[in-house]
Amino acid sequence: MFEAFSLPFFQKGLIEILILAIPAGLIGSWVVLRSLAFFSHAIGTASFPGLVLADGIGFSPALGAFGAAGFFAGLTALLGRSRRASNDSVTALVLVGCLAFGVILASDVFGSTASVDTLLFGSLLSIGTSDILLAAAAAVLAVATTVLLGHRWLARGFDETAASRVGAGAAWLDAVLLLTVAVTVTASLNAVGALLVTVLIVVPAATVRLFAQRITTQLVASVLLVAVLGSFGLWLSYQTDAPPGATIAVVSGITFGLALGVRSLGRRGGRIAAATALVLGAGVIAGCGGSGSNGDQLKVVATTTQVGDFVEQIGGDRVEVTTILQPNTDPHDYEPRPSDVKAVADADLVFRSGGHLDEWANDIVADSGSGAEVVDLSSGLPVQLEGEEEHEHAHEEEAAHSSESEAGHSHEGEAKPAEEEGHEHGDEVDPHWWHDPVNVIAATKEIDTALSEASPDNASYFSERTASFDKEARELDRQIAACVKQVPASERKIVTDHDAFGYFTNRYEIESVGTVIPALTTQAEPSAGDLADLEQTIKEENVKAIFPESSVSPALAEAVAEDTGASTSYTLYADTLGPEGSNGETWMSMMKANTDSLMLGMTGGQTDCFGTVG
Amino acid sequence: MSSKPDPRDDTAASQGDAAVLARHTELGYAGQPVLSGLEFEIPTGTRVGVLGPNGGGKTTLFRALLGELTPLGGTLEVNSTTATVAQTDRSRLDYPVSALDVAVMGTLGRLPWWRRPGRRERKRALGALEKVGLADLAGSTFGDLSGGQRQRVLIARALTADAEMLLMDEPFTGLDNKSEARLETLIDELSSSGHTVLIATHEVEQASRWDLVLCLNKTQISFGDPAVALSKPVLEATYGGHIVEIPGQPDLGVLPAHHHHDH
Repeated sequence: MFEAFSLPFFQKGLIEILILAIPAGLIGSWVVLRSLAFFSHAIGTASFPGLVLADGIGFSPALGAFGAAGFFAGLTALLGRSRRASNDSVTALVLVGCLAFGVILASDVFGSTASVDTLLFGSLLSIGTSDILLAAAAAVLAVATTVLLGHRWLARGFDETAASRVGAGAAWLDAVLLLTVAVTVTASLNAVGALLVTVLIVVPAATVRLFAQRITTQLVASVLLVAVLGSFGLWLSYQTDAPPGATIAVVSGITFGLALGVRSLGRRGGRIAAATALVLGAGVIAGCGGSGSNGDQLKVVATTTQVGDFVEQIGGDRVEVTTILQPNTDPHDYEPRPSDVKAVADADLVFRSGGHLDEWANDIVADSGSGAEVVDLSSGLPVQLEGEEEHEHAHEEEAAHSSESEAGHSHEGEAKPAEEEGHEHGDEVDPHWWHDPVNVIAATKEIDTALSEASPDNASYFSERTASFDKEARELDRQIAACVKQVPASERKIVTDHDAFGYFTNRYEIESVGTVIPALTTQAEPSAGDLADLEQTIKEENVKAIFPESSVSPALAEAVAEDTGASTSYTLYADTLGPEGSNGETWMSMMKANTDSLMLGMTGGQTDCFGTVG
Repeated sequence: MSSKPDPRDDTAASQGDAAVLARHTELGYAGQPVLSGLEFEIPTGTRVGVLGPNGGGKTTLFRALLGELTPLGGTLEVNSTTATVAQTDRSRLDYPVSALDVAVMGTLGRLPWWRRPGRRERKRALGALEKVGLADLAGSTFGDLSGGQRQRVLIARALTADAEMLLMDEPFTGLDNKSEARLETLIDELSSSGHTVLIATHEVEQASRWDLVLCLNKTQISFGDPAVALSKPVLEATYGGHIVEIPGQPDLGVLPAHHHHDH
């Protein structure tokens, strides 16, 4: 039951939450006493543009978050002072401004990238040394300011009108408090993410506030409560395999509810509440059994569903594959679970797809304390398309580019190096490489090599399976090419949700006229002008179908289709495979299903190739 | 905040011990006057009843005396350090502080920002609590005290802050008879120990027992000895014709001298 405590990633998470308990408990108390709960929530969310900027320009995300949070705090303090408006309405105004700014930055300036999400959904399971240092710095600051200024903050919170009479009226006292809140929020971002940061800071302090009769009790008990709830939540998340941040939030919420019950119902209610808590706790603990695994198999972790499928195809029954992403979940929205980190910690090998789709993989490996070798399948692919939003112009631009290339990349066919001078994200390669069978064949060879090195006894088994997979893949490639040729070149035009099908359209000479979301990531949002342009193009080019993706909400694509009369009846598998039993459960079947959908869409439902779409 | 008496002002000589001196004072917000025609001189150590309807300008006057507002016209000299004794906001009743903690808050103004209140400050605060008769309740949670006791804790805080003038905003509201008597005695004691006390109130009968009375309704209606200043026309002007009558005392306000209680 307590084996979690021996795992390095768990220990780091525990240290982080125990250190964070100090600033969270202290500053949380002041937040609650000074009615700044909404402000501190806002500050977490307002860090968003800072994260986007940091990512786009390339400096530390924590610095970006703190910059935005500090700016937000300053602006709120300033507006709140000069206008004499209510603090909440000022906060809400500035918050909305910051969020809008962040969305514009993400969508139009930088074309959002993955590490933004990683910080928005920070996790106690991927804590690094710098996170712990940041938490420690926040702790020192919180203790220092509380010791020095606590009495004045207390007097100011007690009654603000009299505060100036008793030497607690200076505006800088509030400014320091807001700033310290900003630091605490920033330090907590990595642990619980921007959206749950309030839970760590506000809820425990609010729980204590129900009972505390003295400020010292309030401060000390809040720190202890954060520490207890945090470590219990972390441990519980390990037992139940839920994300730690959310688990801590739920545990804190229940505790607050029970505390409220105890307070309002008196002693009898307290007993009922305590009994309920015991039963709940026991149930949760009993519900979590451990699962063993058989010993001799090679333990392999794959980040995405398609990589998991490739490894299973090659590894057969000699390999135990754990796939981290689930079918039909958008990889851009991933938050690691304890079982993922556990699997990585135990793994001999980790295969990742590469690019921004699974950037988090390296962090998990580093933080799990795993010695596993990480194989990035995207690093040695024969066909590499350039990333970035100007996808529709890629072909024209490619011709103009010199063939400067990064070491280790080989190039074939019409594909060109991904570099584009003067562009912020110029070095990014379109990560959806598996939509081209040529790449998949190369990737399976790499999987074969890596597996054989790790388990030489099974080398011949692996290479046999690789050879037969290759044969099948080549046959599939031929079939798709032949089938697509049935459609005249002038009618091979499609519009997809986001730029995920560059490799497919490139391979089979289909023209991608545009995308609903103008970027390689699903996190971006199109502007009204983008959509208008797209609808114009669809009408001019006589595009018959728009293809929503299985893992992204189809609302936008459907709206565009409604305006233009194009069909959205056919869904494509873009970022993940389909669930078991669907027509996209393996890579082979996914390719067939996508081909059928594209064919049916382009021919107005007349022609398909494999009969996989009902 | 407080401005020193101007030595060139020839009236200043005779008013050397004036706690507050108002000359043609006009007060208001954002350039809009809400209270004008203030013309009074409050000697140090007096008890002053401030009468007037809601919105008549009592709060505005208090804010100006605290230095939160600067006069739009005329002058307002405040020659005393000033503290307020406000009604306790309901939401503050669960604030995690003891009576002593609140009294200690009064010492913060004299400490540099990096100093925390220490033993000396606590001793001062305890002394102040003793003065208001709450030494035995120093350790109680502020929110658990009765309304009258809370008023007295706030007075103790003003005393630890060395306030020479106390502004009380309807301190008798919601008090039982015993607490009311107790607070009145305390006001008398404060006055005799040299504190100036301004009490905003609606109770004319009570105000008539103090040294001075100031009647406000957008403008200054009258000021002076209650025996003279509290005439029936004054009260009519103050409360807009609706005289507050105490049952069985129809003559109220005309000649309040025989209502005066000796304490």
